[in-house]
Amino acid sequence: MPELTYADALREALREEMLRDPRVVLMGEEIGVFEGVYKVTRGLLKEFGPERVRDTPISEAAIAGAAIGAALGGLKPVAEIMYMDFLPIALDQIATQAAKMHFMSGGKLKVPMVLRTQYSLGRVHGAQHSQFFPSVLFQVPGLKVVLPSTPHDAKGLLKSAIRDENPVVFIESGMLYRTKGPVPDGEYVIPLGQCDVKKTGNDITIVAVSRVVTEALAAAVKLEEQGITADIIDPRTIQPLDLPTILESVKKTGRLIIASDDVKCGGIGSEIAAQVVEEAFDSLDAPILRVAAPDMPIPFSPTLEQAYMPNAQKIIEAAKRLIG
Amino acid sequence: MYKVAVPRLDPGMQSGKIVEWLKREGDHVEKDVPIVMIEGEKTTFEVNSPGAGVLRKVLFEPGMDVPVGQTIALVGELNEPLPVDAESQQTPEPAMAQQTTVVPAISRAQEPSASPVARRMAREVGIDVSKIKGSGPGGRIVREDVQKAIEQMKTQPAAVAVTTQEARSVPVAKTIRLAGKRKATAERLSYGFHTTVPVTITMDARMEAVLDQRKDLHSRTGEEISITAYVVKAAAKALEDHQMINSSLEGDELRVYGDINIAVAINTPDGLVAPVLPQTNTKSVPEISRSIRDLTERSMQNKLVVSDLTGGTFTVTNLGGYGVELFAPVINPPQCAILGVGRTSERPMIIEGQVRAASMTTLSLVFDHRIVDGVPAAQFLQRVKELLEDPKKLD
Repeated sequence: MPELTYADALREALREEMLRDPRVVLMGEEIGVFEGVYKVTRGLLKEFGPERVRDTPISEAAIAGAAIGAALGGLKPVAEIMYMDFLPIALDQIATQAAKMHFMSGGKLKVPMVLRTQYSLGRVHGAQHSQFFPSVLFQVPGLKVVLPSTPHDAKGLLKSAIRDENPVVFIESGMLYRTKGPVPDGEYVIPLGQCDVKKTGNDITIVAVSRVVTEALAAAVKLEEQGITADIIDPRTIQPLDLPTILESVKKTGRLIIASDDVKCGGIGSEIAAQVVEEAFDSLDAPILRVAAPDMPIPFSPTLEQAYMPNAQKIIEAAKRLIG
Repeated sequence: MYKVAVPRLDPGMQSGKIVEWLKREGDHVEKDVPIVMIEGEKTTFEVNSPGAGVLRKVLFEPGMDVPVGQTIALVGELNEPLPVDAESQQTPEPAMAQQTTVVPAISRAQEPSASPVARRMAREVGIDVSKIKGSGPGGRIVREDVQKAIEQMKTQPAAVAVTTQEARSVPVAKTIRLAGKRKATAERLSYGFHTTVPVTITMDARMEAVLDQRKDLHSRTGEEISITAYVVKAAAKALEDHQMINSSLEGDELRVYGDINIAVAINTPDGLVAPVLPQTNTKSVPEISRSIRDLTERSMQNKLVVSDLTGGTFTVTNLGGYGVELFAPVINPPQCAILGVGRTSERPMIIEGQVRAASMTTLSLVFDHRIVDGVPAAQFLQRVKELLEDPKKLD
């Protein structure tokens, strides 16, 4: 199987969907001539022309609003918000407009748009260019929230997101763009709302999200040396969440860690922990632990940023607390 | 002759439970020397002999609840004649709802730390979690510990302490041979038949879920759980919501009991007995099954003690093992009702418009119409059926 980077896998998904469906258009800051800050849109302006690949002014609210209008008008826009830090500027358009149309019109209106964005935690971009706050989005009914962790998943999930009839927020990890992984030749899609079990074990379930999946897999290797085997589950979409797969694993292992790059307070880990306690309390053999970022702004110092981020070592320590 | 009575330790105290006799009948006792341990609502205390002499007569067995002021023993000279009424054993009433205060829950702090899954597994197979040693972080009892306990139970059934065992480990002062069971049965049933107004209602319950759960438990623990145990548990649980059926009519007083103590009819070569499972609703199905097995064995060996045979508030009788489909048993006085259990058999049923085979049991409830009417009795029976059809709710 050929190896592609995460960025190139995303580019293949965009290109294939643009070839497949003339209604698919791209818009965003610096995505055309400059080909995107992380080069995800490389070559697409040349191939598809300025009608379908549009550079926009620096106004996130306008980007999201234009995408909604285009989607209502019959196109399938893929809009890019360069950093997740800028996404709140467009939150009125995303949460209050895009997510509501389908419901407020009794299903008559559809908003088939994808909002791509990325978070750069780990790239020493400081407190205002590294933020990751998926809970702001998964708390909005009507939005689907996708968080791919591998090139393979990035491609298959982006294609599904583009084909979806209603708004999808697609959150990429800046740290993953240059990572390589196997991507099959030819057409494939990955349905939204399905976990992927990246590794199987018996003693502990580790649900890991986006960049942290790699950390969890590294932790699993170390834990195995000590005789502890783990199920590593990547939810891939956190809204909708594939809870049954997580429950099945927890029923087997009795122990759960949720590891993600967002802050601990009210984050992905909090929500999954609550749902597991509601549905599988009697299967738990230990408290549920969250490995997440501290409830603090992201430090600019590279040393402090490393200390701030969830990593394999922190996951190993959590696992040991549970197994003793 | 000195009378030893249950003292009142605080104004609210209604009764005391005999924990242990420190002296035996025939022992010499000094004045003010402890002769019996009694458990009140708040404390356990010793009661001293009111005078010097010989402990002539012990009137209540350990485990029995005795009202304040009631004479429980007689101390006197070796040759002094006993009062006439001291010869017979007295049977106290089960605690009544109006008088019982809420049973204090075991303090969380005293409980061992056990994970939710460990608690569930222990509950399912009827192991007392507090008897298991924890190996998890901070001594928490985890799944593995319960699994080990189950393994132990498989290899050496007696090794795992079970809560029902505790009650029986109380030293028993003496056992009473039940001579003339036939006579007792005749008198009791004739009284029940002639004083109550019995009405019978029947209902069929689908038993697949119970049979599946039984099979599952058997494969996990090797233990055979009886159908009767499931019905007993379902009845006990249903009585929690239908208290009026857990009662008796005495004169113009209706006594609704605070404890649910189910009696199980057991056939012995000498006649019928109906020993009691105290506070049946608090026991798990496997615990009940074990208790019934134990009571059956002891019935056969004539080893039942008075406390086994008193305090019943409802009776379950199962003739299914003898091929009986449906029968109307006689109420066990002074109880309000009795539940007859028929054979569990495959019968053609119409399910979703199709004739299909289903495992069915016919339940027959005979109740005293003086105490309850048809509708509440039917609602009770419906609840029993519901619980049997979804035995997960029995936990």
